[in-house]
Amino acid sequence: MSGRGCDLVVVHLYADLLRTYGDRGNVLALARRAEWRGFGVRVCEVGRGEPLPPKTDIVLMGGGTDRVQEIVGEDLLSRGGELLEAAAAGAVVIGICGGYQFLGRRYVDARGTVIEGLGILDVETIAGEGRIVGNVRAEATLRDERFELIGFENHGGRTRLGPDARPLATVPQGQGNNGGDRTEGAVQGTAVGTYLHGPVLPANPRFADELLRMALAERLGGEPLAPLDDALEEAAHSAARSRRR
Amino acid sequence: MDRTPAADRGTSSARDRVARGAARATGALLRRTGAGGGSALPGTVLERLSPGFVERRAAAFGDGVVIVSGTNGKTTTASMLRTILRASGIQTAGNESGSNLRRGVASALMEAPATARMAVLEVDEAALPALVRAMRPRALVLTNVFRDQLDRYWETETIARHLADAMDAAPAGCRVIANADDPLLWHRAREHDVVGFGVASLVGAAATGSRADAEPEACPRCGETLSYAGRTIAHLGRARCTACSWASVAPEYEATVVSSSGMSGIVVKIRGHTIHLGIGGVHNAYNAAAALAAAAVLGVSEERAAKALEEFRPRFGRSEEFSAEGHAGWLFLMKNPAGAGVVIREVTEDERVGAVVVAVSDQIADGRDISWIWDVDFERLEAAGLPTVASGRRAADVAVRLKYAGESPVGVDPEPRGALRTAASAAGQGRSIAVLATYTAMLDVRKALTHSRRARLEDVG
Repeated sequence: MSGRGCDLVVVHLYADLLRTYGDRGNVLALARRAEWRGFGVRVCEVGRGEPLPPKTDIVLMGGGTDRVQEIVGEDLLSRGGELLEAAAAGAVVIGICGGYQFLGRRYVDARGTVIEGLGILDVETIAGEGRIVGNVRAEATLRDERFELIGFENHGGRTRLGPDARPLATVPQGQGNNGGDRTEGAVQGTAVGTYLHGPVLPANPRFADELLRMALAERLGGEPLAPLDDALEEAAHSAARSRRR
Repeated sequence: MDRTPAADRGTSSARDRVARGAARATGALLRRTGAGGGSALPGTVLERLSPGFVERRAAAFGDGVVIVSGTNGKTTTASMLRTILRASGIQTAGNESGSNLRRGVASALMEAPATARMAVLEVDEAALPALVRAMRPRALVLTNVFRDQLDRYWETETIARHLADAMDAAPAGCRVIANADDPLLWHRAREHDVVGFGVASLVGAAATGSRADAEPEACPRCGETLSYAGRTIAHLGRARCTACSWASVAPEYEATVVSSSGMSGIVVKIRGHTIHLGIGGVHNAYNAAAALAAAAVLGVSEERAAKALEEFRPRFGRSEEFSAEGHAGWLFLMKNPAGAGVVIREVTEDERVGAVVVAVSDQIADGRDISWIWDVDFERLEAAGLPTVASGRRAADVAVRLKYAGESPVGVDPEPRGALRTAASAAGQGRSIAVLATYTAMLDVRKALTHSRRARLEDVG
């Protein structure tokens, strides 16, 4: 942590429950990459019934099993206002896999039961026939920056975007949101959702940095983030490119 | 108890004999052509030619069948139990190679000597319910439920459900021996005729806060937060629900860790018996408690079982010794965050270790999604200041993981031979190398060690 105190507050929401796919790695990627540039970072694990810390800059919510997502559901809906408020104040809200589905308007499970979501992203998910599983290569666009994403997808839900959200990426390889329209993930304001595991941020440093730039926009005042030695990250990224589906 | 030799009973049908011959020929052919170890396909042939073979052969063991399942510790627990039974003069059959799907079990039954009175078989969690129905075990040992191969099983709850289905499918009179420190498992097990085993919480272990490698710590009954009085590994420990009355219990067979000396061993006390285990790690305290409880259920005296456990030595890949590039080394199988966590604890406690190779591959047998390496406590390795080398098909991802854990690896090499060389030069004079590898990465390391003239692999099993 730098002498400047705390510049960046990263919240890992339901870290004790939604963490099935190495989601801790996403939090680590954001925290380390900010620290290496001299920013002071505080990572907070926020559980059920606990409020978000003041001045939250980034909220990250990972995926969990069906049972755990059910457990989290009630608490999550009760903090819809809090999250919307944070997002409106410029906080970056990131949902991965199950967390992505939660950020959407609703989730309809296999029995047709409708589970209300937070509505931070204008997306809707319906349980599908069979799971979408495999390696993914995607072309992302975020804040006019274009970069490649690699990752692993493993989800049963099929997500479709409404008019207020736009896709995070298209998928030359993989199924993405629904296996139909070649899109992957969603972006709306400072909220971002994706199905990609890997975890996605360590192996895609440009994505991690774009999210950091969004979160640190005011503090950076238009300045770019200092470059880092990403030789290892780039090597992992290029190795993934040749991986079969 | 009926002691009629197996060969005189259900397995002696002409059809079974012909099928067995064909299956054996398949195995021999596979081994000769180098197409594989020959442990699974013969089982498939056998079952095709002689439907119901598994049922008939299992029923022929005079002293019955014991099944061991769960995410971690199957092979070691089953092997410990066989060691105990053998020491008590009971000849056992089993699938020592760890081939634990239905066809592997069928192959093991095919090879079982007619004189074997009992079978101790480890069974894959997904294959478990059907095999319990087929083999009608007299005892079912369930070790734990951790995240493992999520792209295959999808969810931890699916694994827990397989184990619960198996308990429901067990025949009347079957005893369940289950890990009482695993809330998700114990919640289902306590509905049955169950004997619990566990490990008393370690001194100094974090009693609060979540651990990276733990399963979600929600009450198995109501879903509210669990509070832990103490933990041993990941989410294993003494827990109670903060909302409802659910609480884990003190198990009948509880091991207390008396002392631990890294990889060379651990001393535990179970029901007054002090046992010097020849293999280290808290996970082996669990395995020993499970084996002892199972042996007691099977009628072996605890004293004799405890003594036999001291003679136990690990099997394939569960910490083998080797030497390479003039350095001694240990090879560990790493399957999931919890299992890797205990190995890392052992490695960092052992002062002989000078460098660590982390080898991760992503073939089907390893699990294709390697996200879980981010939940492994590599931070502990880094905090211990041990130089690391990334290896395996996913060496590049391992390198990134190690970098974010604290320090970039001193080398990145997908090939085991190069990785071992780098580790050897980083380890320092007289220090050993620890290799943590996923399943197929481990096979690659073994192959490299076997082929290298400068390396030697000792099967200490």
